[in-house]
Amino acid sequence: MQLPTNTEKPNIMHVDLNSAFAMTEQQARPSLRGRPVGVTNRLTKGACVIACSYEAKFKGVKVGMRFDEAKILAPGMIMLESDPPKYHHVYQKLVAIMKSYSPNVKMKSIDEGIIDFHDTRGVINTRPLSVIGFEIKRRVQDEIGDWMRVNVGIAPNRFLAKLAAGLHKPDGLDVITHKNLRKTYNQLELTDLPGIAEHYEARLNAHGIRTPLQFLDAPSDLLRRQVFRSVVGEDWYRRLRGFEADNIATKLGNVGRQFVLDVRTTDEDAILARFQHLCESTGKKLRYNGVDARGVLVWLTFANGEGWQKRQMFKTTFFTDKAVYERALYIFNKRPKHLLITAMGITCYQLTPSARSQISILETVNKEDWLTTAVDEVNERYGTFVITSANTVNAKKRLKQKIPFGSTKYFELLLK
Amino acid sequence: MDPTIRVDARVEVIAAYRMGKHGPICMPARMKYKNREINFTKLGMRHPTTQGKRMIHVFDVSDGQDDYRLEFDAEALTWTLVSVLGGQNAAAD
Repeated sequence: MQLPTNTEKPNIMHVDLNSAFAMTEQQARPSLRGRPVGVTNRLTKGACVIACSYEAKFKGVKVGMRFDEAKILAPGMIMLESDPPKYHHVYQKLVAIMKSYSPNVKMKSIDEGIIDFHDTRGVINTRPLSVIGFEIKRRVQDEIGDWMRVNVGIAPNRFLAKLAAGLHKPDGLDVITHKNLRKTYNQLELTDLPGIAEHYEARLNAHGIRTPLQFLDAPSDLLRRQVFRSVVGEDWYRRLRGFEADNIATKLGNVGRQFVLDVRTTDEDAILARFQHLCESTGKKLRYNGVDARGVLVWLTFANGEGWQKRQMFKTTFFTDKAVYERALYIFNKRPKHLLITAMGITCYQLTPSARSQISILETVNKEDWLTTAVDEVNERYGTFVITSANTVNAKKRLKQKIPFGSTKYFELLLK
Repeated sequence: MDPTIRVDARVEVIAAYRMGKHGPICMPARMKYKNREINFTKLGMRHPTTQGKRMIHVFDVSDGQDDYRLEFDAEALTWTLVSVLGGQNAAAD
């Protein structure tokens, strides 16, 4: 397969609220503006930076860095604990602005999304997209806050639009078309391309591809049969040329939760309380998504650096907190007992649409369903985990809901 | 690490309402706390949050020097000063 470059007019706009959490904190608290700020999910000594302001980035701080390392690079750096409702508010405002231009909006994560202008250019959005892009930037400042900045990228496909949005951070607007495609690639490294990290770079290098232009000029067969050895190579061939390869609807594959332990302890009760709380959170996510599960995976990491995991499929599907905990505990009890746990996680898989509307012939099954519904309704009214297992009460204070990376699917749930 | 000072105290607040470019704006204008009156000059952000079905409006405001987080309980109609971030002290330890 040989394709030319896509000459279609650019109709995809990528809007990216860079350093979103840190920028939001600076918006809310003016005294933080112009200072290096980091955001973490839990303020501990070894806290990890999940977002940082541009002032911190300019000093070399990167996402994923520990706070004590970041502080060496950016003395005076302020570290704040994440505030999900605040970010959710900004997210909702951003979505409202984007949806005012097209119904075809897809949020890729908490701070970035795509507006597809196909089918709306004829009547509603007749102005050039760059004009609309500048308008969105202005509206973000007017409607969310004067400190907020977004990057906008416009291109014929999602990949190039994201690439364009990253060209001039933190306040850029760039358009990539077939006319400036080669020129744009010529200014970049392979790892500047979204989706190309060190591993893929090494693969490409091994086949003599060292620049984005060489990547663009590589034949489809080489990418498919030798470099990526799968259809992934063909997708890359298409997306580099401006053809759409990323408009894919994803299906919910698993549901779970994980937690880095706030204490290192051998106290079985303390560990089980946290573990049960994870199970209850996972049960809520199952019901929120309207699915039942059949499989459970439990994983642990230990203080000596070792990891352990075990999974099991069960005969019947389940969705209640109790059922999740019973099954997960059965697996959890098979762990190596002599090692100190530092992190734990549970994942439910083999998901199917919920069969809860079907009344069972077994009274006990119905009672469990009704009890779960009643508890969920009370929690919905008065706040999540108002009714919870007695032995998880202390854990509830420790395991605060946090913003998950790269996903918006539980946003509404985690804020309740 | 985090220079925010937790307060959690009930306070008296005078709020101002006006029509902004994109709808009505409510902003705490003055707060009485520990026999001091603090005038707010800038609204950083307002965002809603909930405790169950109970609506709490969070206001991040500034008096030009320090930042204050105020919460208005829309059911009980009470104002709480949640925390203060001292502008001059806002440096990591």
